[in-house]
Amino acid sequence: MTLRLTKVSASLGGHPILHDVSLEIVPGELVALVGPNGAGKTTLLSVMSGDVEPSSGTAELDGVELRRWKVSALARQRAVLPQEQRLAFGFRVVDVVRMGRAPWARLPEEDLDDTIVAESMHRTDVLGLAERTFPTLSGGEKARTSFARVLAQQTSVALLDEPTAALDIRHQEQVLAEARRLAADGHAVVAVLHDLTVAAAHADRICVLADGRLRADGPPREVMQPDVLGEVYGHPVDVIDHQGRLVVLPHLINHTPTEEPSCAPALS
Amino acid sequence: MTATLPSRPTATTGAPVTLPRHRSARATALFIVLGIALALLTVYAAGRGQLAIPAGEVWGSIMHRIGLDWGTMPTHPQGDNTLWQVRFPRIALAIIVGAALSSAGALMQGIFGNPLAEPSVVGVSTGAAFAAAFVIVFQINLVGSWTTALFAFVGGLITTLLVYALSRADGRTEVVTLVLTGIAVNAVCSAGLALMIFLGDTQEREQIVFWQLGSLNGSRWEYVGVVTPFVVVGLLGAMLMARKLDVLALGDRAARHVGIDVERLRLVAIVLVALLTAAAVSFAGIIAFVGLVVPHLIRMLVGPGHRVLVPASALAGAVLLLGADLIARTAVTGADLPIGMLTSLVGGPFFFWLLRRTRKTAGGWA
Amino acid sequence: MHRPALRIVQRLAIVALFASVVAACGITPGGSGPSGNDAAAVDLASAEVLTDAKTYVGEAHASLASTAIKPITNDPQQTLPVTVTDAQGTTVTITDTSRILALDIYGTLSQTVFELGLGDQVVGRDISTQFDEAAELPLVTSNGHDLNAESILALDPTVILTDTSLGPWDVILQMRDSGIPVVVTDSKRSLDNVGSLTEEIAAALGVPAEGKLLSERIEKEAAATQAEIAKVAPQAVQDKLRMVFLYVRGQAGVYYMFGEGSGADGLIEAVGGYDVTKEIDWNGMKPVNDEAIIAAQPDLIIMMTKGLESVGGVDGLLDRLPAIANTPAGENRRIVDMQDSQVLSFGPRTAEVLNSLAVAIYAPESAR
Repeated sequence: MTLRLTKVSASLGGHPILHDVSLEIVPGELVALVGPNGAGKTTLLSVMSGDVEPSSGTAELDGVELRRWKVSALARQRAVLPQEQRLAFGFRVVDVVRMGRAPWARLPEEDLDDTIVAESMHRTDVLGLAERTFPTLSGGEKARTSFARVLAQQTSVALLDEPTAALDIRHQEQVLAEARRLAADGHAVVAVLHDLTVAAAHADRICVLADGRLRADGPPREVMQPDVLGEVYGHPVDVIDHQGRLVVLPHLINHTPTEEPSCAPALS
Repeated sequence: MTATLPSRPTATTGAPVTLPRHRSARATALFIVLGIALALLTVYAAGRGQLAIPAGEVWGSIMHRIGLDWGTMPTHPQGDNTLWQVRFPRIALAIIVGAALSSAGALMQGIFGNPLAEPSVVGVSTGAAFAAAFVIVFQINLVGSWTTALFAFVGGLITTLLVYALSRADGRTEVVTLVLTGIAVNAVCSAGLALMIFLGDTQEREQIVFWQLGSLNGSRWEYVGVVTPFVVVGLLGAMLMARKLDVLALGDRAARHVGIDVERLRLVAIVLVALLTAAAVSFAGIIAFVGLVVPHLIRMLVGPGHRVLVPASALAGAVLLLGADLIARTAVTGADLPIGMLTSLVGGPFFFWLLRRTRKTAGGWA
Repeated sequence: MHRPALRIVQRLAIVALFASVVAACGITPGGSGPSGNDAAAVDLASAEVLTDAKTYVGEAHASLASTAIKPITNDPQQTLPVTVTDAQGTTVTITDTSRILALDIYGTLSQTVFELGLGDQVVGRDISTQFDEAAELPLVTSNGHDLNAESILALDPTVILTDTSLGPWDVILQMRDSGIPVVVTDSKRSLDNVGSLTEEIAAALGVPAEGKLLSERIEKEAAATQAEIAKVAPQAVQDKLRMVFLYVRGQAGVYYMFGEGSGADGLIEAVGGYDVTKEIDWNGMKPVNDEAIIAAQPDLIIMMTKGLESVGGVDGLLDRLPAIANTPAGENRRIVDMQDSQVLSFGPRTAEVLNSLAVAIYAPESAR
């Protein structure tokens, strides 16, 4: 299952967001999508998931244009983790994860529902929350539940929009370890990440998006260059290598006072 | 290419991972309780009415009707007729209309993703009322006594489809647009209704008001026969789409990601809602709040899963309306209280209470 | 958790009970009984007629000379069974009239049955049937104008006479389904069809000959009264009192003008008045606009008693509907009211109704 975008441009509400983006996601790799705010990362993910149609260029899954896929068939090939978790009613965590099995209803795979749901919940550490109602969860717990739902969907392509945004360090590492494992198992995983260090640590490939264009696309060592990053983010960064791991350190902004404030109280 | 099953992880204990046991006991208990309540209330209601018939004679009448010669027949010369021509059809219609309104409400809330949705939002009730008023004022008599019901039904259906069609843009229907369009169409139908009231004479006006307040007075077996298939189809349809309705709670986008054809689901559901509500409204007038309050209550008791919610709402709605109609026809001697008034009197304050209590756990508005 | 659920159920039950009590208190199944100052009216012939009806100031209440039933015969000769085609074209066969129910919004049907001499066979009444001979009969209507199926069946009637003025229609159908013959009569009430309506009722009860006699009597009495009225009422069109029938109810500023086809038109003509609704081709009963009332400039307004009461009497009326104060009728307080169930009912009391209205209009001093 290859996801291929060829010279894709896309607009939202009349505004052009993406320009001429071409990239290919193949099974077995975890691709991190990074870039500054407003670069178009979520829009790119929406094009990949089939929610947004490109205004020019083609977006194809397995050689067939996304808009020609039937909704139900597409759901068996790709899963999407949204940025925000909404739920209209107070379903339990286990029910929400089970919703991920919807594309497999009335198919032989349906028999495995219970097992898959249980394992997905275990892998995201929400098994203990199974009977809790979703709206009562914390942001992080909601995010992990939704990730469990994505895992339960059992698709070859997984598109994750900011999967670690609300998570603490432990859960962040857990989720990304799961994403890596998915990729290792032969899935194609795309994750929009805001933290460059995290991206460098886990991704096989990093795509840097700026102003709707693909600025860089390659393994972390290649892409994580201070000059490129500095230009893209408009802020100077240092990239250091710590025991084989890349760490991106943005420069601090210093305020050096020019003179002592004249009304500083004299300390006796 | 199907996805590969992830290899079973070894949990800390080394045993395979399984789900905690699903407690469906509560749902079963609810169904049993509701079922018994309905049976008991039906029996009780059969024995109560403006014409006093002792329970033993009610029993006797039923037994004789099914061919068994047990018990005594009602002593009053019109007792048997009262039971079979007046009371029993009314009880039957109350049950069916209650079931129809509640399940329509549950469906409505599911497809809108909003616990405040009611079938009247899409204009079913007002459209039906307008059509009925039209018949009354212009004294249309196409199919005899069925004319009002037929027009009400068609009016409700047309209004619903109109609201739906008008609120579509780019092949998608946004919930907010649907509600706003519903408000607009409701306003037009209300204006039409007001015009009918103006044009009518005193008697016609009374008929219209009578119809608007909702009443099961005058229920006949023929009506029961007409409404029942609609309700059966509506309920069955709702049950079939129960699982998909659950998924709609994720939001349109996420539901589509999981393979739900949101547009089609919404359209089919709205048609079912229109069928259920129009069928109920055609014969019983407008009875408010049942479709709003009952699904809420059930959701509070057994959660939002539609597989249980829809049939449980139907059962509970039947019990509620049967009880309300019992009060309506026996509370005051010789009087027949408008049942819509009763349900509003109870439903209104209850709705306020619900708003305050369930906001947190329900997850707010979509 | 079942405990909160139980609490919910308990609360629901309490609220429902409360609601039904409140509702019960709000419903007044009683109708408009004869008011305290309904003294027997005088005959127009012996009343003190005004010299100029247009300048008289003051309201008047029209009460019937007598509500007593004067049966055309005490021993009607019934020929049963009888098969009739009712006003809707339904063929009905009546075999037994031992338990009669005659129900309509004005009480005309039951009055007629009593006047035909079959009063002792009537077993129930509608809210508008208030005369002494029927006062003890059980009511079969609820909320004023709704037929109550079980109450009707409880009386085990053998024949039901009704028009379409009481509903719901389904209850009538339920009666037919229960095997009770139901004869639907003409629902129009006017001077023109008093006779035919009487004969319809008589035919259904197997007393056509008595029916003819009764209808002739009614028409004769009405004609006699009209002749009396002609003596006192102005003849020339410009001298006739400009009259209008207004239906007023309560606080909401709702008032309807009754025009052609409502029965009020015939009534006004019969009492020698000039019907202002003719000038504007007003049909039926519709809400009227303030300016239209002023433009019509009626000299006298006829109203239903309960309606007048509901706006607080003549003072309340002029206060609440100032447009009326700008008409001669309002300025001279020429409001004539009559019991709701009598004024438009026509039927057997037609002559008396015309008489008492005429007294209130042309000889109001005698109506006090």
